[in-house]
Amino acid sequence: MAEPGATAGRYVGARVQRLEDPRLLAGRGRYIDDHTVPGMLHAAFVRSPVARGALGGVDVAAAQAMAGVAAVFTMDDFRDIFRPTFSTITGPSVGAPPLRPLADGDVRFTGDPIAIVVAESRYLAEDAAEAVDMDLEPLEPVLDSETGLDAGILVHPETGSNLAAQISSPADDERAFASAAHVVTETVSQHRYVAVPMEGRGLVASWEPGRGELTIWAATQAPHEMRSYCARMLGLPEHRVRVVMGDVGGGFGQKMFVTREEMAVVLASYRLGRPVRWIEDRAENLLAGGHARQEQATISMATDASGHLLAARVRHLENVGAYSVPGTGSVGGGVAAFFPGPYRLPSLSFTNQAVYTNTCGRCAYRGPWLFETVAREQMMDIVARAIGMDPLSLRRLNVITDGDLPYTSVTGMPYERISPAQTLEQAAELIGYDSFRRSQAVARAEGRYLGIGLSLYVEPIQTRGLLGSEGAILRVDPTGEITLIMGTASHGQSLETTMAQVVADVLGCDPASIVFIQGDTAVAPWGPGTGGSKSAVVAAGAAQLAAERMRDKMLQVAGYVLEIAPGDLELSGGSAHVRGDPEARLSFGQLAEAAYLNPAALPADIEPGLLVSARSVAPPVVLANACHACTVEVDVHTGLVTILRYVVSEDCGPMINPMVVEGQIAGGVAQGIGGVLLEHMVYDADGNPLTTTFMDYLLPTACEVPDVEYGHVVTPANTPGGFKGVGEGGAIGSPPAVINAVADALAPLGARITGTPLGPAQVLAAVAAATSR
Amino acid sequence: MKAAPFEYHAPETPDEALDLLAEFGDEAKVLAGGQSLVPVLALRLARFEHLVDLNRIPALRYVQAGNGVTRIGAMTTHATIGGNAEIRRRVPLLAEATPHIGHFQIRNRGTIGGSLSHADPGAEYPAVALALDAEIILASARGTRTVAAAEFFTGTFTTVAEPDEVLMEVRFTGRPQGCAVLELARRHGDFALAGVACAVELDSADRIQSLRLALFGVSSTPVRATAAEQAVSGIAAGELDPAEVGRAALAGVSCVSDLHADASYRERVAAHLTGQAVRQALQQARQQSLEEARHG
Amino acid sequence: MAEHQLEVTVNGQPVTATVEPRLTLADFLRDRLRLTGTHLGCEHGVCGACTVLADGAAIRSCLVFAVQMQGAAITTVEGLTPDDGGLSDVQEAFRAEHGLQCGFCTPGFVVSVTAFLAEHPEPSTDEIRDGLSGNLCRCTGYQGIVRAVQAAVLARREARVG
Repeated sequence: MAEPGATAGRYVGARVQRLEDPRLLAGRGRYIDDHTVPGMLHAAFVRSPVARGALGGVDVAAAQAMAGVAAVFTMDDFRDIFRPTFSTITGPSVGAPPLRPLADGDVRFTGDPIAIVVAESRYLAEDAAEAVDMDLEPLEPVLDSETGLDAGILVHPETGSNLAAQISSPADDERAFASAAHVVTETVSQHRYVAVPMEGRGLVASWEPGRGELTIWAATQAPHEMRSYCARMLGLPEHRVRVVMGDVGGGFGQKMFVTREEMAVVLASYRLGRPVRWIEDRAENLLAGGHARQEQATISMATDASGHLLAARVRHLENVGAYSVPGTGSVGGGVAAFFPGPYRLPSLSFTNQAVYTNTCGRCAYRGPWLFETVAREQMMDIVARAIGMDPLSLRRLNVITDGDLPYTSVTGMPYERISPAQTLEQAAELIGYDSFRRSQAVARAEGRYLGIGLSLYVEPIQTRGLLGSEGAILRVDPTGEITLIMGTASHGQSLETTMAQVVADVLGCDPASIVFIQGDTAVAPWGPGTGGSKSAVVAAGAAQLAAERMRDKMLQVAGYVLEIAPGDLELSGGSAHVRGDPEARLSFGQLAEAAYLNPAALPADIEPGLLVSARSVAPPVVLANACHACTVEVDVHTGLVTILRYVVSEDCGPMINPMVVEGQIAGGVAQGIGGVLLEHMVYDADGNPLTTTFMDYLLPTACEVPDVEYGHVVTPANTPGGFKGVGEGGAIGSPPAVINAVADALAPLGARITGTPLGPAQVLAAVAAATSR
Repeated sequence: MKAAPFEYHAPETPDEALDLLAEFGDEAKVLAGGQSLVPVLALRLARFEHLVDLNRIPALRYVQAGNGVTRIGAMTTHATIGGNAEIRRRVPLLAEATPHIGHFQIRNRGTIGGSLSHADPGAEYPAVALALDAEIILASARGTRTVAAAEFFTGTFTTVAEPDEVLMEVRFTGRPQGCAVLELARRHGDFALAGVACAVELDSADRIQSLRLALFGVSSTPVRATAAEQAVSGIAAGELDPAEVGRAALAGVSCVSDLHADASYRERVAAHLTGQAVRQALQQARQQSLEEARHG
Repeated sequence: MAEHQLEVTVNGQPVTATVEPRLTLADFLRDRLRLTGTHLGCEHGVCGACTVLADGAAIRSCLVFAVQMQGAAITTVEGLTPDDGGLSDVQEAFRAEHGLQCGFCTPGFVVSVTAFLAEHPEPSTDEIRDGLSGNLCRCTGYQGIVRAVQAAVLARREARVG
């Protein structure tokens, strides 16, 4: 395989300690709740206490009269200034109902924002919110995707149907199923669980009428999207809107797109002509911040007598709630495209329905389409057990190998530069698969239930369409100091460090000397936001290009000053010098002085100053891949699952900073473990959410997440540096690894595990059901 | 998530606190460690016009042992209890229970008086108090009374304490030989879905002198498994079937169903844990007997 | 509602203020004193992002009202910075072991770990995980955090011995 532009310099590839850390460790980060604007007011929302209802009058008089209250707004107060719009990435054609900032005549999920109270403090705003009265007639809600299309109740009357999206398939490959030696059918389900960044949503919006400027400081993953969206929403020219992002406490997709409360805050500021701040609290975040993952599929897989996959049929059903962001919230397209995964699957029939319900709508959550892996990898184990093969053997038999590449999947995905077979073998070796099977047998004889689970997947790095380009501006100031300005929105991805590593290798300087500016739309080049595992491809690509242009410019100036051909010069140690002769050197400071301070003296072909910009364009298809392997012990008396070991063999191409890569994987793995064993967003039969605090929505702690062991396979992408990107993979591969391990542990009891959640009660119920059969 | 407004009072003696409660009645709430109350206030699930903070009353923080009685002031924190050598010696069941409670940050503020008064069905200290037949001292401006643990807990988050009463002290007597506290929680430190506090005394012939079992997390209050206890009285330790004791302990117990587990799960797990706790406590008791015999 | 006079020491500095009873210690530190290193992740005492030291004991500052801290000595994450600037040994260990990504939970962990190690200078790995279980992190999967505590323990042991 070719190795395009592989950069293994002094810093790229190294575990460089993070430049972000000193301020964050010292408690000197600047998160949105730390940011104050003189004269700012504080917002709190009045929210629907019921899942569905007819909303009559909203009486704000008593609330408005309370001390410290500046205003209480309902949809009526925004009607003349609000223009419905759509996320840039979905565009207006997607068919989802436009997001309105506040409820208008009805409420569609418990937590639906009805009014926004603006007061001198959050304390006073919450007091006043309690004093808002409303005429709300509860109506019967629709809560299930299974019954949602026939319930005779419309979630969004404007759409005329609860069908948010659908995919119809060409006819089944009847011959393949009819002639197959084995056909295994199962319904696999995934429950609702959510992103839970440690910092919720938040923003300070400031409309200054005299200046005609809207400034928004926000906890966002996509400042330029927020700018575009809010500009459209208010009918303002985009360049009159500025979004500034400071430090952001995680997002996982929940902060990628503009949400309804954020819209209401911006509108409130616009209405008042004063800065308005809203900091979401945890109850709001769990209630209304955006949900994810609730879907199921009935899957049939056909194999020949040896276990070769012949065909698959998938009927996919999603519960997308009400008011998803972006678009309809359906991920059917992604699930369909990647269902074949890393296997040779000759035939796939895929149908999908996404159903609106009177529950919180979806947001994007780390690998939104991951159900393709969760469902497929469970089916591989279910099929393996059904036909009497070991799950590892079935995967080995069907996995796409180097010899198959390039390979086009049955869904039209071009596979190249991937290594699923290598990661499968590496993960199996690292976890000690064969020796585990022996230990497992010994343990079973002693009445202990150990299990091993595999999960193998191909991951699309999100570089299609507008996601595929980032910009970088590099500036060297007259004193020689370097500033990198990017349109990224790093919120835990360590871009301040990794982008500096890339630039430092090219410019021959210390990454710690580079100041990184991102997230301010007034100065940063347009960017699609940070998410989708693409920073190492798209952002690093831009940083690399900009650095190369700056290097060339600097060498040009140095060549002029030193009267030596630029081709004989190089940059290292923060200076320009003759290649191989570090003695005759020009420091960056001296170089910059020459570039800036006597412009007329420069030759005509050297533009004064040291400022370059560059924009990357990534290939529309970049694929990473990995294999997760997990061993567990299941206590059949309590249903508790203990994870013994967890292994990830990851191929994200060359790594800019292996420490950062492993950290991203680990965080995703913890979310998968939490999702399977602990986290569950639950609604009761009336549509009331039962898990809106951390007492009931359970996140994994350090006691629930084991040491994660890593193996790395390196298959470069066709991009500068060969980087592929990492971010979502840990969350994608982990749920089925854990589920499969539990199922494997309980298989001798005949227990059927067909999805999640797998809390102790569910595990024990599966054991009880098996032993009673 | 900000609490509704309230007036704050910080009495420095128990009498001051009682006078405040007499004055404000059910408009007032006692604030002990705050680890359970303050979230309720922040979520606005409840509100009170007046909070009476007991944290400035040194007279309520003490551990006093003598004459076979261990007296613990209500405002003694979990952290203090967990690290107290007297309690480790005299009321080991309390020491055993403490590490299960939340996390060390919670234990630095949470108090035994608060835990008993809050009466969360999944809490450990109420079960320990019930298992050991502790006495709970309640005081108000109207006087003082002693309530047996068996009478104290009446329902979920409900005790016999009147709104104007303050839990002042809890008293433990006796010194069981072997003890165990086992619980099943979703995560370490969470409230139990099922738990048991077990204490056992053996006589000199290795027979069960007393077995004490209090279940927690399964019902609306902690539950004393009296019938199961009595059934094994006098039985030789070596002939006891702990699993059978576990099953017997759940007979007649009405387990609750909620978000995290249904009744049948709680029953099954509680029985299993009880069996294990009995086994553990017996082992500890027999070891202690052996050691006492060795040292004469 | 009546306001109360409050005198506390925060990071070694005496502070006098008038506070409403319902103002939490967390909000007092953040909004009144502009010590914004202490973060709010849940405001109901589970996530630990708001952890501070009160008279040396780690507590959840969202679960006490400022007025309750009369006379106390509070240490926030800002107070852990050594006098000559830089980072404490616990903070250095977090950096060395990649124990943070977005950084939002980090001050709570740093304060909790500082208190934990004062009580447990030689913890086993299980004890470390147990000691960390009162703080939630969503980014790191706790890998770097556990390693950071182990590294700090090792460094302190070597400093004592050497």
